[in-house]
Amino acid sequence: MRNSTRRRLWLPVIVASLSLVAAACGGDDEDEASTPPAAADAGTAGETAPVSGEVNISGSSTVEPISIRVAELFEDVAPDVSVTVDGPGTGDGFKLFCEGETDISDASRQIKDPEKEDCFANGITDIVELKVAVDGIAVMTNAGNGAVECLTFHQLFDLIGPNGEGTSTWAEASAGLPDAPLDLFGPGEESGTFDSFIEIVIEDLAEEAGVDATTRTDYSPSGDDNVILQGIQSSDTSLGWVGFAFAVNASGVKLLEVDGGDGCVAPTGDTIASNEYPISRDLWIYVNADAAAANPALVAYVDFYVSDALSRAVSEVGYVPLTGAAQAETADRWHSRSLIS
Amino acid sequence: MVSRLVDDRSRAAIAASIERRRVDTRGLLFKVVLQSCLLVTLALLAVLLVTVALDSTDQLGTRLWDFLQGTLRSRSSDESLGIHQGMYGSLWIAVIVAVLAFPIGIGAAVYLEEYAPRNRLTAFIEVNIRNLAGVPSVVYGLLGLALLLNGQIFGLDRLTGGSSALSGGITLAILVLPIVIITSGEAFRAVPMELREGAYGVGATRWEMIRTQVLPYAAPGILTGTLLSMARAVGEAAPLILVGAVTGRLGENPGLFDIGALDDRFTALPIVITSWTVQSGRDDGFTAAAAAAIVVLLVFVLMMNSAAILLRNRFEKKRG
Repeated sequence: MRNSTRRRLWLPVIVASLSLVAAACGGDDEDEASTPPAAADAGTAGETAPVSGEVNISGSSTVEPISIRVAELFEDVAPDVSVTVDGPGTGDGFKLFCEGETDISDASRQIKDPEKEDCFANGITDIVELKVAVDGIAVMTNAGNGAVECLTFHQLFDLIGPNGEGTSTWAEASAGLPDAPLDLFGPGEESGTFDSFIEIVIEDLAEEAGVDATTRTDYSPSGDDNVILQGIQSSDTSLGWVGFAFAVNASGVKLLEVDGGDGCVAPTGDTIASNEYPISRDLWIYVNADAAAANPALVAYVDFYVSDALSRAVSEVGYVPLTGAAQAETADRWHSRSLIS
Repeated sequence: MVSRLVDDRSRAAIAASIERRRVDTRGLLFKVVLQSCLLVTLALLAVLLVTVALDSTDQLGTRLWDFLQGTLRSRSSDESLGIHQGMYGSLWIAVIVAVLAFPIGIGAAVYLEEYAPRNRLTAFIEVNIRNLAGVPSVVYGLLGLALLLNGQIFGLDRLTGGSSALSGGITLAILVLPIVIITSGEAFRAVPMELREGAYGVGATRWEMIRTQVLPYAAPGILTGTLLSMARAVGEAAPLILVGAVTGRLGENPGLFDIGALDDRFTALPIVITSWTVQSGRDDGFTAAAAAAIVVLLVFVLMMNSAAILLRNRFEKKRG
């Protein structure tokens, strides 16, 4: 019975100790938390007055890495600006943006009319649309393969789409192509490049053919672009696709021309940046100009976004930077706050 | 006398059946099947652990401390890449779950087991609690979204700061509440009736009986159940995505014990793992980072489970 006093205490003790832990830890860190900003202030004191504040970004997971990379580079310029970036998807991003939850919306397509109306209805009328990069996908074969120079969307659909399942030569998959073994390499479903390829090349033709908009399943998918390149290099009659920025510097592979209906176009930085090359799409950010008027941190961040840092950030995360003229236009649109209507 | 009743032939048969080793083929086969079941389980676990551990060495082997201090970054080669923001989120989610779900859940279990009348209503409530424990976690995420972010009821979003570690913790506390009630209920049910009757016998009230007999006796069982449910909460990703856990970049990197950041945007270990796994399609180095994050989460959960075992042993010793 002596034990009973100790025993009966256990529940209150646990509850009390949990709240104590919480309280103690909180107290601890009040001081710790206050030191870094002070140190950061000192660092920038020599330059212009430090900007501080928060920038909230959401939207396309394709554009997400660009916005994050820009924020990382921006850290050195304005360490007191806290930039948060999320990537639930272009549509979800616009929903948040039109509710006024975010300052910038990343998008891998232009805003749709219903989305725009939604924004306007919620009083978010001052929106600046900025093109920030181009996403291009290169279709490649082995450098030693002289039999193929150019593929049409139809041929690509036959070779890579679900109807190609089970075929083992180029000719078997698509009549008219050489009768050579087809060794296929590409990214896996988790990859943004996979999604973009489906959207641009496969989707419409799959709908016409009445099949699912996906690829055949009997090829070797890899999340690692290097593995895809090695696959292409390993077979004389290979076929594969990766992000352009990655393929362009690779050796032992040949980038094929692609015909999206307007003739064969070779992928180069220029043809992708100008959208002449058909497997490319523009990447955008949408800025809430009203919010920018009230938030110097947002202005500073977008100023930085459209500056020279953009092309660096874009190529570092694997997309094609804008041409000089397009970049100048983007900067101009921002600085003159040209709104969408 | 006996020998005369049994002839020589049957005597030999009886002797043989007693002395000869019997081969129980079916029994052996059954045992082998059971053993292979265990082996398959262990082999799968071993493969998982070994591949994750090997993948993680790129991060944990070379820059363990930096990795534990670092933040979400756009490139896997970034020297500030790390898990600190995820650890902050998961730690506080665990604490909030403990503070909210445990007292409420255990309290509800005490009422259901010790006070509630045995009637249809009680049975109906118990069945529903069991069903709630089986509801997909995304559904709880939706509840959190409506309640804590959109503030559709009570305007709770003003309290939680919308999408925050606090909202995440409360959502997961609601998620594990049924599990806590069920496991604590089982623990109370395992308390021998004699203990209760003995307490009543010496004139204890119901409250005294519960306080001095039932709770101490059930404590080890309650602890195990509740801490396991906390481990479950820490491993959940789906509800947190709905509550707005950030996958890309978090501006702030608060100290582990900085409770001032509880109402800011947040992320958590399972979210970081998901996000980095997705990003490994773009930047292969994130495979190692995701593996390293998995190791950190495993260690986190292991620590929690060993705490449960230690505490249980302590209470069991006292009870003995």
